[in-house]
Amino acid sequence: MTTASKLKQTLAGLKGAQATLKEYAEKARHDEAKATFRGAHEVIGGIVQGLEGRVSRIEFEEPQFKG
Amino acid sequence: MPGWLDILLRSIGLFIVVFALTRAMGKKHPAKVTPFRFIIYTVLAAITALTMLNMVNPGVGLTALAVWFLLPFAGEYLATRSKWAHNLIYGRETVVIRQGKVLEENLRQARVNGEELLSELRSKNVFNLADVEFAVLEPTGDLNVLLKSEKTSVTPYDLGRQVAPRPEPQTVILDGNILNEQLAALGLNKHWIKEQLEGSGVLLDNVFIGQVDATGELYLDLFDDTLRNPKPQVKEMLFATLEKAQASLTTFSLETEDQEAKNMYSEYAGRLQEQLEQLKPHLLH
Repeated sequence: MTTASKLKQTLAGLKGAQATLKEYAEKARHDEAKATFRGAHEVIGGIVQGLEGRVSRIEFEEPQFKG
Repeated sequence: MPGWLDILLRSIGLFIVVFALTRAMGKKHPAKVTPFRFIIYTVLAAITALTMLNMVNPGVGLTALAVWFLLPFAGEYLATRSKWAHNLIYGRETVVIRQGKVLEENLRQARVNGEELLSELRSKNVFNLADVEFAVLEPTGDLNVLLKSEKTSVTPYDLGRQVAPRPEPQTVILDGNILNEQLAALGLNKHWIKEQLEGSGVLLDNVFIGQVDATGELYLDLFDDTLRNPKPQVKEMLFATLEKAQASLTTFSLETEDQEAKNMYSEYAGRLQEQLEQLKPHLLH
């Protein structure tokens, strides 16, 4: 497995987790839990964006990994 | 008026009067009252029975009933107004064990002997007198015990562990019926329940009890116990996914030779680790 595909796999996992966290933040019944889930959702959002940038750079530099 | 009709009317009338009186007397548990309150209950019961069976004149009976109801009521009112009246009416609590030592003088005043003290302690699951720091005999005769700090059960606070807040669960389905009031209190509606039931492949008619827990997840108990209803594992799965991503990021930071990317990966791994620690009490329990 190439680095690019491993990276994409991690990215997909994080995106799924981000969506679930968003759902939890909406339905949590206690403010503290809500804040924790929302905070985690934002941090992971930042990481997802950064990794997406990295993926497009790898694909630009080494087009053989594109896919 | 024939005798049976007389009794019938008296019974119904007194039933309603006494029912209203006991409701007005509040929610004190009959098994946990002061001896005097027990006497009040007994007297009220006796007057009611005598009046009903025409042993005493109805006028006399009702007057006695009113006195025995109104006096305690007045006493209760006074007790809420003044601490002195409260102590006079309800009695004071008696400290029977202080700093691990039995206060024999106080025990004697409360007319409790050592055997009774030990038996009361045992009923509180305390078999060893040496474990007790402090014990109070309440006016109702109940013994309340504070154990020595090393003998009390461990709380998350003692362990220095953070735990997620846990609001009370709400029962939203009972006997196959959706309880709309409880649902509305959660800000949910029937569509949400239908969606959840469809998701787990269960018919509403087959649900005995459905409860929504603190994180908003629906737990179902079915009539048909042979049906397997998998416990939701979404939270554990989410935590595992995040842990896996964190591990992968650490691996990437070690594998890559690009210094800029190395820094990025290790920074992200650190941030994710931080979030994992914060989420742990909410997702794993």
